[in-house]
Amino acid sequence: MNKKIRRMTELALLTAIALIIFVVELQIPNLSPVAGVKLGLANIITVYAVYRCKWSEAALMLLARVLLGSFFSSNPSALLYSLSGGTFCLLGMLPLKKIIPINRLWLCSVFGAVLHNLGQLTAASLIMKTAAVWFYLPPLVLSGCIAGALTGLAAQLVIKRTEKIK
Amino acid sequence: MAYILAGVLSLSGALGTLLLLMPNKMNVVQVLRDDQILYTVYINAEDERFIRIDYGDSYNLLEIKDGKIRVSEAGCPDNTCVKMSWLSSSAPIVCLPNHLVIKFASDYDGIDAVVG
Repeated sequence: MNKKIRRMTELALLTAIALIIFVVELQIPNLSPVAGVKLGLANIITVYAVYRCKWSEAALMLLARVLLGSFFSSNPSALLYSLSGGTFCLLGMLPLKKIIPINRLWLCSVFGAVLHNLGQLTAASLIMKTAAVWFYLPPLVLSGCIAGALTGLAAQLVIKRTEKIK
Repeated sequence: MAYILAGVLSLSGALGTLLLLMPNKMNVVQVLRDDQILYTVYINAEDERFIRIDYGDSYNLLEIKDGKIRVSEAGCPDNTCVKMSWLSSSAPIVCLPNHLVIKFASDYDGIDAVVG
């Protein structure tokens, strides 16, 4: 089979999986009253892509998932926050992947998640023109650490399983 | 190295969260949109009342009662501001879609608001 088509299909499949996870997670009621505290299960695929795909492929997949996801979330104003969070997360994780080996991927995911939340707060403080949102930094850092470790572990399991297929 | 950094991050996050959640009520509450003060409320001096703040097609309904303030109703899609319930610590109530921030003003701001 043509290698290019195979690659494209793989990326499309990964994007579709990420989108499905994202939509399913929307149905789970929020555990905390703080905006932005969530599991971010779709990032399992993002972390996977950071380690297994080219940086451009990972970035395009995330962009496609965020844009399509905002159509499903009925909250269009969340798009800017997701975009900014995703950018921070990728910009941090892509260099970190050079330092952190794939068997400690969950650690990279922790930093990615914290950076994601940092990006969202930056967007919020710029859009709302107020520093008041920075009060939410501590809970968002904490939740980023927990959620990032969990999604990172899940991504590590995915990579272990798919290595056998390839 | 990375482990230590991750540990420090989560510990400081946990500690900061605890500090943030400590009850810290003050007398003066400011309601802001895009850093412009819409209302300054002396909640202990207020009678029970509602303030409706419109934002385009959306709105927030503030409830002041027994020296407390909360968003009791909102037209935004996520209703996070309503779930945050009564303002009780230095963590402000934030409604991202409607650009609304409700927070305690420090004493300095309070005096400033009276003079101004």
